[in-house]
Amino acid sequence: MPVQALRTVTAARNGVGAFILQCKRLDFHYCDWAGSSRGMNEFLRQNLPAFAREHPQIEIRVAPRPRKHPIIRGHFVNGKDKTICVRNLEPSDILKQTLLLKDASGEKLKRTKKPVTSTNDSVRGIWSPYHGDLRGV
Amino acid sequence: MFSRSALRSLAQDLRLTTPSAIPSAPLPQRVFLHQAASLRNAQPQSSTQSSSLNPDTPLSATPQAQDTQPEIQQGFKAPSGNPTTTPNTPADTFIPQTRNHIPIEKQPVPPTFDSPLKVTQSLMSRLPHLVGQTPHYIVAELHARPYLLTEGDHLRLPFLMPKVKPGDVLRFNRATALGSRDFTLKGTPHVDERLFECRVRVTGVESEPLRIKEKTKRRQRHVKKALSKHRYTVMRVMDVKVKTPDELLQEGTQVVEDAEDSPEIETRA
Repeated sequence: MPVQALRTVTAARNGVGAFILQCKRLDFHYCDWAGSSRGMNEFLRQNLPAFAREHPQIEIRVAPRPRKHPIIRGHFVNGKDKTICVRNLEPSDILKQTLLLKDASGEKLKRTKKPVTSTNDSVRGIWSPYHGDLRGV
Repeated sequence: MFSRSALRSLAQDLRLTTPSAIPSAPLPQRVFLHQAASLRNAQPQSSTQSSSLNPDTPLSATPQAQDTQPEIQQGFKAPSGNPTTTPNTPADTFIPQTRNHIPIEKQPVPPTFDSPLKVTQSLMSRLPHLVGQTPHYIVAELHARPYLLTEGDHLRLPFLMPKVKPGDVLRFNRATALGSRDFTLKGTPHVDERLFECRVRVTGVESEPLRIKEKTKRRQRHVKKALSKHRYTVMRVMDVKVKTPDELLQEGTQVVEDAEDSPEIETRA
């Protein structure tokens, strides 16, 4: 008998009942020496405390990354992470990138054509030739 | 993030005060902030809240979105005025607690119905069939585009909706059709928004992969590259609900004779 994987019983539908923000952690890396971190260092002093206070559900880590460009790395509930390099950016632009990571779902970017995706069965059922009225030609 | 922060503050308050101080608070609070109306919580005509926003408009028999307000606000003021509770939020973190704290553009829009809902007798008689058959679907319109939605669906709008944050709850109030497996309520052209409830929750912002369109001209080596990377608002449908005749009558709906252009429930052939 072949080995069978465990089947998931339910599919997660975030937001139907409870809502959980998908971004769970943000890492801010900076360098004290390099000029490309100038905006980042100012952002860490000026903007980050307010951002962290507004979003207590996001864990925030600040760590040096010497002799490298500054980056923001977001970790998501689905286990993936996204990294944005913020070299030579102004604090306002860095805040925009931070908000981008906060709103993201962590999924890979996909091009979709249909606006609605559903896991439910069709409400109207599947068409069958053996049911319903016979229509004259 | 209003709902989350408000809920959190509410939870903290609940922990500090006795449970009897705030009766049945968490759900109505979320309801309050997002114009989501629950009929269970609906109170009969309370003029205090609606008068400030839209005094001249006679509201429908139950402007549901406003009805829960006064009670909630009292529930919130009670713990803050209570000397036994200690304010556990620092002064610089502002958490909105009443409607006055929320900027005007974020407040729910009051309904502007100038007459109670009129439903024909035939619709009223067939409505129980539609209500009793689950699940339901709705063809909701947003910016004149139809979206066929059921509960739990994932909706990615073809645009970035301004002034919404993840966690916000929106209520779709324009629908062209409501239906179940065998019955469909078709609007003429729209179904009255007092006949149903459809809520969606904003879950975030998604983006498409970078698209590069190469623009060329004849007899030119130069190729111009046009980049585009659009962002889209992502939502999840929380509920699709058709109101029962009892609920409609409770709201003061008038039953009238059948007319030509009144919406009707069609049965599947």
